Amino acid sequence: MANKNTCMTCGGSQGLCGGKGIATLKDGIWTSNPLAIQVLGICSALAVTNKLSNSLVMGVALMFVCVGSNLFVSLLRNHIPHRIRMIAEVAIIATFVILFDQFLKAYYWEMSKQLGPYVGLIITNCIVMGRAEAFALQNAPLVSMVDGLANGIGYGVALAIIGFVRELFGSGQVVLFGMTIDLGSWYTPNQLMILAPGAFFVFGVLIAAFNVLKGSDPEEDKK
Amino acid sequence: MNKFRQNIYTICFAVILGLTCATLLTAAAEFTRPKQTENKKAEEIKNILAALKVPFDAHGGPGELIAIFERDVIEQTLGQEDSLTLYVYQPEGSERPVAVAVRFVGPGLWGPIKGFLALEPDYQTIRGVTFYEQEETPGLGGEIVTDDFRSRFESKHIANEQGRWGIDIVPGSGEHAGINEIAGISGATMTCDKVEEMINAVIETLAEKRETDGQ
Repeated sequence: MANKNTCMTCGGSQGLCGGKGIATLKDGIWTSNPLAIQVLGICSALAVTNKLSNSLVMGVALMFVCVGSNLFVSLLRNHIPHRIRMIAEVAIIATFVILFDQFLKAYYWEMSKQLGPYVGLIITNCIVMGRAEAFALQNAPLVSMVDGLANGIGYGVALAIIGFVRELFGSGQVVLFGMTIDLGSWYTPNQLMILAPGAFFVFGVLIAAFNVLKGSDPEEDKK
Repeated sequence: MNKFRQNIYTICFAVILGLTCATLLTAAAEFTRPKQTENKKAEEIKNILAALKVPFDAHGGPGELIAIFERDVIEQTLGQEDSLTLYVYQPEGSERPVAVAVRFVGPGLWGPIKGFLALEPDYQTIRGVTFYEQEETPGLGGEIVTDDFRSRFESKHIANEQGRWGIDIVPGSGEHAGINEIAGISGATMTCDKVEEMINAVIETLAEKRETDGQ
């Protein structure tokens, strides 16, 4: 790729996303991953990651909410009165979250039962609000959606990694879409991995791994 | 004056945004309501059927479950005041009830626990137990929903050798040879105690009601 700012949808350097599409995507998923780098929204990440399938649905939920709220906040960004912008953002976010929750309750009852209150709690997830405040208010709708998508993927992937490790060592097997990865009978499931402390350990290792793989932070080096 | 106009704009914006969101959500809730109520009902029915050991397809849709329930299970009320609902399993073509279930409810460690206790027609032997709506600690108290724990209730009696009503969930995996003794879950003594309490409450109510009804 000659120009690293080339837009994926159109190929032009000043495309639909104003040339920021790829960079935004990379930012959300990797360089400033909401969970592993910014360490936001960890409340839900610790709570729902005892199973891989739960983690994935939670990731999809956050992606949906983030894309939707970013789009609408961005569309309304020149109309939202500054003083009530946060309330307006929360109203938009809450609408999307409740829509998703209703959808799960109607069509994916089992999953909705397992996730319990955590879908509803996406309303208070720092990532969604953070993206609306920090990105959607300053950027055009399309690139804002890309940002929401990227952060949703970033969150979902990090969640899936934690969920996979916790389920594997906590239950001795991972079940997804009817496929099973089994550690075998020699392994005694470690209940600690299913409980909250297990999430903290895995999460800590994940942050460390991200930092090692990403290399040194140029911002830190300047100090 | 400018400030006044600004305020009006802010209020109008808030009202319109609020109304739009509310309308959207109402529409979504209305649209999914039939599905949601069906799911809730099916969830309850699934638990009753599982406790009664009525054969059903676990992957079947809510409609299928409701159909089985309506065909094979009869709801009866016992007692006049605060009547107890009995779910009597009488398969099509059979003359006599095969099993009977009652609902039990009580506080758990973190939130309410609800479930069903199914008995053989002798009203003595436990046929099955199911739990739904529980928020116990996953991995510890939450283990009450596992087949392993639930199967420990099967064919135990709801009264001891002396005929005193009540089951006894015994901590640890030690001696639990008594006809009404059930092995508890280690690390979840609090949950087990509460489960024991709520099941015993329903056993006593059931015994009382049956006595007064003279059955």
